Amino acid sequence: MRDSHNRSPKAAPCSIFFVGVCCAGLAVVLSSCGPGVSLQREAQQATGEAPATPYSIVCVIHGDGDYLYHDTSGNAYTADEQALSGAQTVALENPHAEVFIFHQRPRKHFLFVFPVRDGDFYYYRNGRLIAHEPYWRDQEQSSFESEAGLYHRFRLANQRGIARLFLYCGHEIPEFAGAGYDASYPDRAFTVRDFAAGVQRLTGESSKFDVLILSACFSGTPHTVGLLGHYARYVVASPENLHLSYFDLHALERLDLGARDGDIAAFAVGFARQAFERLTESIQTAVSVAVYDMDQVQGFVDSVRPGYDRMLAALNANTQVSNATAEQCDCADIPAYVLPAMSQGVEVFYRAARFGRLTHKQSHSGWECWRERGSQPAASQSTVPMAK
Amino acid sequence: MKGTPMIPRMIVGSIVMMFLLALPASAGGKAELQKYFSDAAGKVKATENPSEKREILSQSLQTMSKALDIVQNTTAISSSDGIGLIRFKAAIQEKQDELAGLNGYARVSDGQLNAFSDYVVQDMEQADQVVTISLVSLLLIILLIVLILR
Repeated sequence: MRDSHNRSPKAAPCSIFFVGVCCAGLAVVLSSCGPGVSLQREAQQATGEAPATPYSIVCVIHGDGDYLYHDTSGNAYTADEQALSGAQTVALENPHAEVFIFHQRPRKHFLFVFPVRDGDFYYYRNGRLIAHEPYWRDQEQSSFESEAGLYHRFRLANQRGIARLFLYCGHEIPEFAGAGYDASYPDRAFTVRDFAAGVQRLTGESSKFDVLILSACFSGTPHTVGLLGHYARYVVASPENLHLSYFDLHALERLDLGARDGDIAAFAVGFARQAFERLTESIQTAVSVAVYDMDQVQGFVDSVRPGYDRMLAALNANTQVSNATAEQCDCADIPAYVLPAMSQGVEVFYRAARFGRLTHKQSHSGWECWRERGSQPAASQSTVPMAK
Repeated sequence: MKGTPMIPRMIVGSIVMMFLLALPASAGGKAELQKYFSDAAGKVKATENPSEKREILSQSLQTMSKALDIVQNTTAISSSDGIGLIRFKAAIQEKQDELAGLNGYARVSDGQLNAFSDYVVQDMEQADQVVTISLVSLLLIILLIVLILR
C-alpha cells in the first residue's frame, strides 16, 4: 500500500502552484462576472469637451449562428466578424459621429463550467474608441435589454439635431416561430416582434431612427417593415435572400449628410444603390435592396395587414408543416396584394439571379410575401428561362 | 474470407466519424457542406477545359444527391430533418437539371460554368433548407460524401 506521507518533497510546491493557478483563473472568471469591466471609459468625461457630433450610428451584429461564407476565390469568411470589422472602420473614419457596436457572440464556458459574457460592446466617439466591454446578452426573452442599457448609459445626452442610423446584420429575422435563431439559446424564440421591441428600447417612446438598415434576408415584408416603421423614418432592407457579405458599409464612412428630410432620403437611396452595385459585382443569386419611406408606405402596409396577419397566424399554428409547405415570393405574384399604393414610397434596386428558375424576372415590387409552396401563378411557370 | 475487408472499412469509417464529431460545434456541420461546394468551384475554375468543368460540377452534385438519398432512407431521421432534406435534395436536383439542360432549363453554356459554380456555392450558403437539418444528419451527409468519394 502506498503511503501518502512518502511522496517526493517536490510535490508540495507543485500542489501549491496548481492551486494558485486555479485560484487566479477563478478570480479572473469571477471578476469578469461582475459589472462594468472597461478597457477605456472616457465617455462621461468626454461629454463636455467633445466637438459637435451630428451623427449617431447603432450597429447590432448577430454572430450566434452559422455565418460562414466563401468568396469567389474560395476564401472562407465569418459574416459577423467581417461586419464587425466594417462597422469598426465606419466608427474610426467618422470624425463627427458616435458609434455603438454590439457584437452578439455564441455563449462559451471557461473550463466547461463557468459561462463567459456572450456580447461585446464598443463605443466610439469622433473617430476614437472610448469604451470596449464584454456584456451579458439577454438570458431570457431577447429584446435588446442589455444593449439598450449600454446605449442609454453612453449616448450623448442631447440628441437634438443628430442624424440617427441603426444597422442590423444577421440572418433572416423570423416572422413566426423563431426558436433557434440564437444557436446558444435553442429553445428561445426570437421574432420580428422581439426585434421591434428591442429597437423601441433604443429609440424610446417619442423618437425614431432616421434610417434603419436591415442587412438580413427577407426583411422587406409588409409585416417587418410595418412593425419597424414605427421606429424609423426610412427603412433599407432586402425583400429576398441577401448574401452573407451583407450590405456594403462604405457609404457610412465619412458621413456628410444633414438631418433634413431630403438629405436623409437621398442618403438612404444612395446607401441602397451602393450596396446593390457592390453585391451585383460578385453575387450570382438574386440581389434586391429596397428603400421604404415610412410616411408613404404606411397606407399599403395598413391595407394588407389583415390578410398578412391571417397568413402568419396560420403559419404559426403548425410551424413544422409551415416550413415544408410555405415559401416566400414577390407580393406582386399574389393578386390580393397588387394595390395601387403598392409601389408608393418604395424604391427598389433589383437584379434577378443569373441562374435558376427566376432569371426571367425583370423587377420586384419591393415587398415579399408568403404563399403555399408550388402555388406560383401559371404565367410564372410558363416563363422558365430557355436562354441565358 | 468475404467479411474481412469490412473491418478496415469500418475502422476508416470510425476514424472519419470521430474526426467529424470533433468539428467545432459552432460550425454545425454546415461549414463542411459549404466547403465541399466551394472546393468544387475552385476545381472548376482551375481547369480551362469546359468538359472537365462540367464533369466536376456534375460529379459534385451527383455525389451530394447520392448522400442525401441514403440519409433520407435512414429510418432514424426526424420529420423536420426529413422536410429539410427534401428541400435540400430538390435544390440540388434543380442545379443538376440546369447544368444538363433538363426539365425546361437551357443548358448552362460553356462560358458560364465558372459563374454557375459560384451560383451553386452562394445559393447553398443562403439556402434556408440546410439550416433546418440537424447536426447529426449533416455529419452523416458529410461522412457519406467522404465514403462515396473514396
